[in-house]
Amino acid sequence: MAQRVSQDMVAVTALEPDAELMLRVKGGDAASFALLLERHRVPVIHFLYRMVQNQAVAEELAQEVFLRVYRARLSYEPTAKFTTWLFRIAMHLALNCLRDGRAERGHASLDVETQENASRQVPDRRPSVEQDLVFEVKLAEVRRAIETLPAKQRAAVLMHKYQELEYSQIARVLSCSESAVKSLLFRAYETLRARLAHLA
Amino acid sequence: MQCPVQNRDNADLLLAYCARRLDAEAAAVLERHMQQCEACRAFGEAQKAVWAALDAWEAQPLSEDFDRRLYARIRREEEGSFWTRWVQPRLPLNPRPALSLAVAASVLLVALLVQSPPPASRLAEVEMVDAEQVERALDDLEMLRQVNLTPRAEPPVTQAM
Repeated sequence: MAQRVSQDMVAVTALEPDAELMLRVKGGDAASFALLLERHRVPVIHFLYRMVQNQAVAEELAQEVFLRVYRARLSYEPTAKFTTWLFRIAMHLALNCLRDGRAERGHASLDVETQENASRQVPDRRPSVEQDLVFEVKLAEVRRAIETLPAKQRAAVLMHKYQELEYSQIARVLSCSESAVKSLLFRAYETLRARLAHLA
Repeated sequence: MQCPVQNRDNADLLLAYCARRLDAEAAAVLERHMQQCEACRAFGEAQKAVWAALDAWEAQPLSEDFDRRLYARIRREEEGSFWTRWVQPRLPLNPRPALSLAVAASVLLVALLVQSPPPASRLAEVEMVDAEQVERALDDLEMLRQVNLTPRAEPPVTQAM
């Protein structure tokens, strides 16, 4: 009995912390779900925002991500890292949204001063109006450059750069091999270097 | 070392370097190579410019009521139908195979129902047939009764040989 208990404990501690929390959610622990939400909502929203480039749509999609996580709690099995599973759901929703063109309907034009762009707070370190304008132009170029990437390349770059996921994780999220991920990243960065190198 | 720009197999070394994910030893080897290789140096500088540009792209802060809205949606589902409370949480994330089976089973059921008419109509048919038959039988009987009442017809004359 004691041996079996310690073996079970070893099995549990071998799991990553997020998977442990999700198993507690499976057992009905609402506080564990709240903790997972607190840890992961910001990265998920930021990833979705950079994918669809619309904050309202990104938040709506992020809500759907966590809703699906919650719905799937009773059938959850820790077969992969929790973040891999989470970003796979997020990526699928983002791709569907891009295919449906939902992000474009509310999309702020990059060439026009909009509510979204105007709401950016100017940091104190850039007091000059000219510097603000240069910054906004640079930002618009970055957003445009990312927007022109094919969806899978875009997702790979965002996960690699901002979420700092490993190639193996990105491969599982995109359902492809590691070498395919490296190829996606190589082509994506090649495109970005061509479009953004002059900003240096 | 083999030039990473020329040899695509090693290109991820440059990517890792520019993402600041390369370990110190590998980074030192690469930097020594970059001092001698014009192509790699240019590649590295361009990639750093990309990272700096991407760093400048900050995400928007999320809405203050994000959590409240999410929990409200969860509560609505919890208070919802039998499907959302008992069936959906137990479905796999990808229910497509089960849905396909359900659709196929529904089509089969409809086909079976269309082929075999319901027993009630068949009974009605049988009842109708019986009624018609009885009526006809009664008419025949009436006719026979009337035939019996008329005088017998003269027997046919047989010619002598």
